[in-house]
Amino acid sequence: MAATSKSKYDPSFAREVFAKVDAGEEIKKCMQCGVCAASCPLADKMEFSPRKIFTMIRAGERDKVLSSKDIMLCTSCYTCIVRCPRKVPVMEVMHGLAHYALRNGFVPREDTAKFGKAFWDCIFNTGRVDEGVAARNYYLSSGFVAGAKKGIEMKDIALGMLKHKRMNVMGVIPGMQGKKIKDIASLQKMLKKAEAMEKGGQTK
Amino acid sequence: MKYFLYSGCSLESSASNYMISVESTAKALGMEFKEIEDWNCCGASIAYIGSNHLAQVVLNARNLALAEAQGGYDIVAPCSSCYIVQNQVNRELKEDPDLMEQVNEILKEGNLSYKGTVRVRHILDVLYYDIGVEEIKKKVKKPLKGIKVGGYVGCQTVRPYGEYDSVERPVVMDRILEAIGATPVDFSHKIKCCGSGIFLTELEYGYELIGAILESATKKGAQVMTTACPLCQLNLEAYQPRANKALGRNYNIPVTFITQLLAVAFGLDPNKDAALDRNLISTDAVLKSAA
Repeated sequence: MAATSKSKYDPSFAREVFAKVDAGEEIKKCMQCGVCAASCPLADKMEFSPRKIFTMIRAGERDKVLSSKDIMLCTSCYTCIVRCPRKVPVMEVMHGLAHYALRNGFVPREDTAKFGKAFWDCIFNTGRVDEGVAARNYYLSSGFVAGAKKGIEMKDIALGMLKHKRMNVMGVIPGMQGKKIKDIASLQKMLKKAEAMEKGGQTK
Repeated sequence: MKYFLYSGCSLESSASNYMISVESTAKALGMEFKEIEDWNCCGASIAYIGSNHLAQVVLNARNLALAEAQGGYDIVAPCSSCYIVQNQVNRELKEDPDLMEQVNEILKEGNLSYKGTVRVRHILDVLYYDIGVEEIKKKVKKPLKGIKVGGYVGCQTVRPYGEYDSVERPVVMDRILEAIGATPVDFSHKIKCCGSGIFLTELEYGYELIGAILESATKKGAQVMTTACPLCQLNLEAYQPRANKALGRNYNIPVTFITQLLAVAFGLDPNKDAALDRNLISTDAVLKSAA
């Protein structure tokens, strides 16, 4: 092949993943057997299975990988991790890719990104997650009208939980948040420090 | 025996029936629980969206450091997500001195440090290995005779290390069910994922996942499901009517926490101790012979 022809094998994105994505270097061990794809409970909902995503990384398909809905459809069941014959923590690579994609302006799945943010904000602001508050803030993150609509659509679940004393009432009152842990100040300092260090925190 | 009960966020709301039955069952079995003073959320498996890996490690290291400073007892997590996340971070820290050093540098912000002396365990592990089926049998006053139970272990409960049970063919939950006189059924979807948080974002996928689990268990005769994970229980129970609608089925199968069944078998109060009145799908018909 002439050196001037467009290379089919561009390692630059793979190098980026190894260096900047949490658990990214682990894909070096992948031998493309496909056990992860065969084990994933949601593989039939994906265009690109984890095995394919790994190959696309090696092929330099940066935009295709970082915008793929499939890097953000993980339920974290760990089946791929316990079955991978090369001990690639597939799930963790997917989490790392999703986090990296979001940090770099890609939004593989908007709803999941919003829910994840609402969940993390609860942790950062109070130290714990009140499930009702997290769900409410997630619904409202699409705007008040859209959020209220979604809330009404799901009211059977919320009312059932409230009635059976399995939901705190503050979850249904906009603006209210869960109780803070005592030393929330130092927890926030720790999290900010960790965010500024190590791989997944470097970009942006 | 003294433990830290790491209740986690779910047991404070959606799994309040788990919390009540964990406490009453533990009391009956002579276990002493302490709370980790000022504990924080583990981040569950969704923290990767809002934070990098190191922040998730620090989040859990703070709890481990608090537990170490407050007595160093084993941390018992009834929630499978709390268990898997905290246990994984604990192992990572113990196996990676550089990470431990980095994390300790950050923990200084809260005047904390972690040496790595604490253990994180799932409640099934403690029930089976510390208490044991013989002790459990001794406490049984109302055996769940003839009741066929689908012991739904779920995915994270025994993973990723398989420290106390097989990651593919777990048996501990069924042995405990046998100890209280119930008949566990063997079904193919015992460790298949329930969908976890996907019910908030891709509802239709979730219906398929729980539909397959319920189908697999009921085909083998399960009259009641039991779990040891808040999200497994919530998804199988709260979304069952919606899944029925979406899939054209008509399941009405109660979904319990295993500690609720233990409390019933121990002859404790069905509502005050087993919190059965907090289940959305009534257990009355199935458990009437015992409760």
